[in-house]
Formats: sequence, structure tokens, C-alpha cells
Amino acid sequence: MPIFALQRSYKYMMYATKQPSLRINQADLKCKNGCGYYGNADWDGYCSKCYRNHMDQERQRKARQSHHSDQTKISGFSKFEEKKRQQTDKKNKYLKSLPVFRKTSSVKDSGRPERHLDLRQANPDADKLMAEFISLYGVWGDMVRRDFFKCVQSFTTKIYSELDNKPIEDIAEMAQKYYNLYSNRVNSTETYQEVTTDVRDELLDFFEKYVMVSLYSWLFCPPSTNDEEKDLIIQERIRKLSWVNAHHLDCCISETSIEVRDLVYTAITHLLGMDSMKAPQEKLACVVNCCQSVVKVLQHCQGGPVSADEFLPALIFIVLKANPARLKSNILYVTRFCNDSRLMQGEAGYYFTNLCCAVSFIENLTAESLNMPQQEFEAYMNGEITSVSAWESALVACEGMHQLCEHLSLLKDLSQRTTTVQDETQKLTQDILKFKDEINEKVISVLEKTPLIIKPRKTPEDLKIEASQIAAIKIEVEETQPQTNFYLQNLQIGQNNLGENKTKLQLDITSCMDKQQSLEFLSPAFESLEGATPDDQNSLSLSKINYDIDFSDLSGENSVAELTPEKRKSPSFTPDPFSPVGSSCTITQVPLVPSQVESDFVLPFVEGEKAGEETLLEKEDEAANLPSPIKPMTSQYSGFSKQGWQIPSIPCITGDLASSNASQSNSQASTSHDN
Amino acid sequence: MASNSGSYNFKVVLLGEGCVGKTSLVLRYVEDKFNTNHVSTVQASFLNKKLNIDGKRINLAIWDTAGQEKFHALGPIYYRSSNGAVLVYDITDEDSFQKVKSWVKELRKMLGADICLVIAGNKTDLEKNRHVSLEDAENYASKVGAIHFQTSAKLNKGVEDMFLTLTQKMLETVEEKEAQNAPLSRQNSQRRNVVVVDDDQVPPPPTRQCCGNS
Repeated sequence: MPIFALQRSYKYMMYATKQPSLRINQADLKCKNGCGYYGNADWDGYCSKCYRNHMDQERQRKARQSHHSDQTKISGFSKFEEKKRQQTDKKNKYLKSLPVFRKTSSVKDSGRPERHLDLRQANPDADKLMAEFISLYGVWGDMVRRDFFKCVQSFTTKIYSELDNKPIEDIAEMAQKYYNLYSNRVNSTETYQEVTTDVRDELLDFFEKYVMVSLYSWLFCPPSTNDEEKDLIIQERIRKLSWVNAHHLDCCISETSIEVRDLVYTAITHLLGMDSMKAPQEKLACVVNCCQSVVKVLQHCQGGPVSADEFLPALIFIVLKANPARLKSNILYVTRFCNDSRLMQGEAGYYFTNLCCAVSFIENLTAESLNMPQQEFEAYMNGEITSVSAWESALVACEGMHQLCEHLSLLKDLSQRTTTVQDETQKLTQDILKFKDEINEKVISVLEKTPLIIKPRKTPEDLKIEASQIAAIKIEVEETQPQTNFYLQNLQIGQNNLGENKTKLQLDITSCMDKQQSLEFLSPAFESLEGATPDDQNSLSLSKINYDIDFSDLSGENSVAELTPEKRKSPSFTPDPFSPVGSSCTITQVPLVPSQVESDFVLPFVEGEKAGEETLLEKEDEAANLPSPIKPMTSQYSGFSKQGWQIPSIPCITGDLASSNASQSNSQASTSHDN
Repeated sequence: MASNSGSYNFKVVLLGEGCVGKTSLVLRYVEDKFNTNHVSTVQASFLNKKLNIDGKRINLAIWDTAGQEKFHALGPIYYRSSNGAVLVYDITDEDSFQKVKSWVKELRKMLGADICLVIAGNKTDLEKNRHVSLEDAENYASKVGAIHFQTSAKLNKGVEDMFLTLTQKMLETVEEKEAQNAPLSRQNSQRRNVVVVDDDQVPPPPTRQCCGNS
């Protein structure tokens, strides 16, 4: 870094001393020589004539000095020996190649033809182009070729002759005029009649190219101007601004993407290649290629069409990173000698204009245009703050450094992402907690709104209805027989035990009971007792209900084989109340039932239902338990049968049962047959 | 610009503050598309449009410019030797209209009457948020010799109309100039671009005559 700085300052000093006129006050407009003509800031305050004389003198002096310094300074500045010699050598070469030098050595009049000869020999490029011309446009005849070279010749000679007498701007004007003349000639002369329009345009291009390549060394960065100085100024400026990155310019070029990096490199290469081209249109083509790469970069980074708002900052960034050699000279050369009709329109013109804008922006760049405080800007400019960016290292330092920086930026990116992820997770957990609280609150509020008293409030209602119904039934039952109280009690127990779901069923039953009169109690009660036998005695009513449902189902489909055992039990009981109208036989039959059940029942049951031992046992229990509940029943029956005349609905049930009886008797018969 | 046997090349610059819709306008005109995802062109900063008016072949080269304030100073480089300028402002943004005024002043000072101006109040689809009154804008436009248009790149309103009118105006101006000037002197006029012309200067009526030009 210090070497660079010293080298730079040394360079700067060298040019500064070479042209002390830089510090000239622009206020005095007259020529410094006092010749009476107006001076120009570009010509260090001299008028054009005096300036040229002055420059010539300066050059000679410098040349001599540099020869001296080569020998003298080596001992003193051993440190910069190498660099300096390179520089002076370059300078010498450059100065030697200048026509101005040779001009001084020869007499003006005799010099011209010499130089003219020189011009043709010294340009291998021009010779190449001549060969190219013949291969490309030879088809159009000898006349075209001859005319073309005639025009080229006249053009070069004319420009060449004027080179020393006129400022470069006038020569540029001349060149433009000549382009137009040739264009008119191509379009109107008979010689070019056969040439197609496309080829005519190509010819014009080629003319420009040929002429400019031939005269390149005199027209590019001419000694009569301070183009070179401007080059160095802008180069220095860009070097000082090397810390500016894409963020400062508000352009979105991602530093870590490899594709983007490659595209940026391509753009930079194209821009750097501009200096090595000779013809203005070739230089222009380099600018176009560079800009197209920039467009690709932007498209890669943001997608969609690229507008000028994004393009210009990106181009500025590329110019800053490329720091092309002799930038200003190249731009001026193209502006002066590129055919205006091309430069002022078309894509190339647009891109070139943008390049000019970028350079102008860089020249006038301030803290304000980068949106940063003046102090920070100055600190950057003085090198007090240094920022290491991925681009910086990629363009300046070695690959390892570049990778390091790239990884650093990647890590930065990653850490940012992790923090965002962490933040998000925190947020999420908070949200979850919040949600939980909310739900809890909601549940509580809902619970408060609709209190838990639902049950106590609802059940009484149902019970009331039932109670009233039951009361009605009670009255009826009491009318008929006070002994039905037992069933009523049963019912009531059931109602108390049952949940809400069951109440409806219960209601149905009660309504049924209403319809079928008190005697209907018999069958459900009877069945309930029967069904209750396998279960606990406590859940009498529940089982009763279940049974009730089963029963109704059964009545729907009579021929369900599964239930036959249950049915089978019923015939053993049913005959008791129905077959004998009297009550005496019931008592005697009761002991018979288990014995019958045991003998007839078990075997077919095992066969029919392969449910295993458990069911068998259950059934056995059932069978064993059966008599016990029946016993009280029988006592009821005895009481019941007393008023047998009052049973209207029994025949229905018996009918039902009879049918099942029939089937069961059949099955019994079949089983007996099997046995 | 240079015209050959009834073919013209016109350079049109788009000027205006950032985000007023310059790019959208030109994309709508050239590609007839608004949604940027469907646009086939890679770059929207420089676009060509070929027109045919009264048998004259016209090629419009439309130059988009960076609208950011920090690039304002670069304006002269962009609009140098352009035939027309479209000054775009956002009808919902008073500042953008003030910016147009400053552009007009600058253009008239630098290029005089050579340049045809069109002022476009863009984003009329956001009429309900309008902050620049139509009357003010039109009054101002007529005062500085520009044509005012209301456009909406989103709804494709007034865009085609605006560019067509501008082209016709540029055509007239160029033909007038051709009638006045010798062809060769015109070629070089673009180099000396700083010409201060009075705003009120009335160009002489066009005299139709054919000149054997470049």
C-alpha cells in the first residue's frame, strides 16, 4: 500500500511539474504569452499557437530530462528504480512515436512526404485491413476498390497535413465532413451503382475503420491536447474511490453468486479491451458488449427488464471496478472520430452515452451522491477507513483473499438468516402461548356464559314431564290395580338412573304404556326381569331399556337366529301366564324351567353359536339365575291373573310369541331330531 | 436527424423523477405490455420503434434515463441532440411535477425550440389519489409550448396517442429545419449544442420544398 501511494504521488508530481499551468487562474483569459489572442484553460492559458510552441519546448526538455534522470536517479531512488524506469521508458517510447518529435528533426516541407510514406509502412494493421477489404469487397470490381483507396488516401493526407495546424476538434469536424462526403459519393456516384445498400453501409463503416486505423497513433490521445493528463486524473480518482461498493450506489449486484461474478468479470474485460482496439467502432463495440453484460448481471440479480434507473448505477460500479486505462482518451477519441450518425443513435450510442454519464458521475462524485455523511466520505477518501469487500478482494488481491471475503459475506448472510429464523421462532412460540391463553380465556368465558347448571336445569324439566305422565299413569294404575306400584317403582328407579339419552326411550315406553293400558306393564317388566338376570340387579332398568330396544328390533325381524336362545327362554315362561288362565300352575312350572333349560338349551346353543365357554357359562349362569327373579314374578302373576279379563292387548303379543314359538318348536324339533 | 429519402431517425429522451413510470410507458408503447414479468426484452432502457406516417419511415429511438436525483446533473449528456423529450410525472406526486418544470426550463435553455416537448401525467388509473390538477398541468404545458397528455401505462391509455403526436411534431420541426438550412450545416449543428433560444421565438411557417440533402 505505501509503495502504491508513493508511486502514485510521484507520478502525480511528475505530471504536475511537467505542466505547472494546472494552477493557472482561469480569470486571465488572454494568452499567457501576451500575444493578444484569447487563451484557453484547456491549453494552459495559452492561445492555440503559443500552446503548441510551448508544448513542443516542454516535450523536448522533458525528453532530455528523462534521459538524464535515468542515469542520475537510479542511485538515489533505488527503491523505485524498477517502476520508474518502466515509466520513463514507456514515456520515451511514446514520445518517440509521436510525429511531433520527428517533425522537429526535419524541415517542415520535406517532412511531409516522408511521413506519408512512414504512415503506410508503419501500419501493419492497415495492411491487414487492405487485405480484408479485397477479400470482402473485391467482388464489386476494381473500380470500387480503386475509388475506395483513392478516398482513403486523400482523407489521410488531408488530415495528416492539417494535424499540426489545427486543434483536434477541427480535425474531428473535418473527419465528420469527410465521412459524409464519402457517404454521398457511395450513394450517388456511378462507381458504386452496383453495390447493394447493405454493402454500401458496410463500405462506409470500413472506410471509417480503415482511415482511423491508419491514423490511430496521431489521432488517439494527440499531443496537442491534455487527454493523457485527464486520463491520469480519472484513473487516480477511480483508484481513490475503490472503496465504493454496490451498496453505496444503490444497485443490487449480489457479491456471492458465481454467475454474477463471472458476468461482472466479462463486463470488466470488455471495458478494458476498449483500449486495445483502434477503430472507433471497435471501441464502441467493446462498450456495447460491456453494457450488455451489465444488463445480464442486473437481469440475473433482479429479473425483468432493466431500466435506466438500475442500469446506470451498475455501469458506474463496473467502471469503478474496472478502472480502464486511458479511459478519457478513449472516450474523447470515439466522440471525435466515430461517425456521428452512429454515435448519436442506436443502441451503441445509448450505451456510449451511458458510459460518458458514468465517467461524469465519477468525476463529480461527492458524499451526497453516495448518501453518506461528508466526514465518512472524507475518511474513506483519505484511506482512514478501509472496507474489505468481496469485489475489492476479487479484483485486487489473490484468490485466497477473495474466497475469504466471499465466505465472510456468506457467513454474514447466514448469520442474518439465522437471527431472522430465531426471531421467527420466538415469535411463533409467543404466538402459540398467546393462542393458548386466548383459547383458555375463550373456554372460560364460554363456560361462564353457559354455566354447568345445564344438567340440573334440564333434567328437572324432563322429569317434570315424566312425572306428570307418570302421575297420569299412576292414576290409571291405581284405578286398575294398586299392585302395579311395583312396576312404577321400577320405572322410577330407571328414570333416575338413566341419562338424558335414555329418557326419550323411556318416554316412548310410557306412552306405549299409556296406550296399551296398565296391563302392558306386564311384558316390559317381565322382560326386564328376565333380561336383568344375567346382569347385576342394580342396573335393572338399564338392561330393561336395552332389552326393550332389542325386543322392538326383534319384532321387526322375527327370524334372527342369534336371538333364538333368548326367545327360547320366553316360550318356557310365556305359557305360564297365557296358557292357563288360572294361576295355580305357575308355581309348579317354575322349578321345571331350569331343568328344561339345562337339558334342551345348552347343547343347541353351543352348536348354533360357537361363542365358546364364556357365553356358555353366562348362559348357564343365566339359567341358574333364572328362577330367582321369576319367583317374585310368580307371586305377581298370581295377583295379575286375577284380573285377566282386563287384558286386551295380550293376544297381540302372544300372537307374536306364538309365531316365534312355532318356529322355535320347529327348531326344537329339529334339534331333538339331531340329538 | 439525418433523413434519407423520406426515412427519419428521431431520438426521444424520457425524463422524469424516479418511479413515475418512464420505463412502464415505453414498454407499453413498444411491447404493449405492462406486467414486467411478461416482457421479452432484456433491457428496457433503450428501445426502437418503427413508424410510418404519411409514407415516411420513422425510427424512434427512445432513451430511458436514470431518474434518481443524484443523476440529474447528467441530463445534458442524455438529451444532447435529441429531437423530442417526454417529460413524465406522476399525477399522485406533486414533487414529480415540479421536477418536470425544472426539466422544461433546462431543456429550453440548452436546446431551445429544437426539441419537441410532451408532458405526460402518468398513472391516471390512480385518479382518486390525484395531487396534480389537470388544469394546472395543461396551463403550464401550453405556456411552455409543450403538449400535455394524460396517460396510464397500466390501462394503456393515451400512450400510443402521446408518442404519435410527438412524432408528428418532431417531423414538422425537422421538415421546417430542412427547409431553412443547407444540409451540410445541419450535420454539424449537433456538435455545438449550447444554443440559447428565446422561449417565445416563433419559428417561421414551413415552406414545403424538396432539398437534395444528405
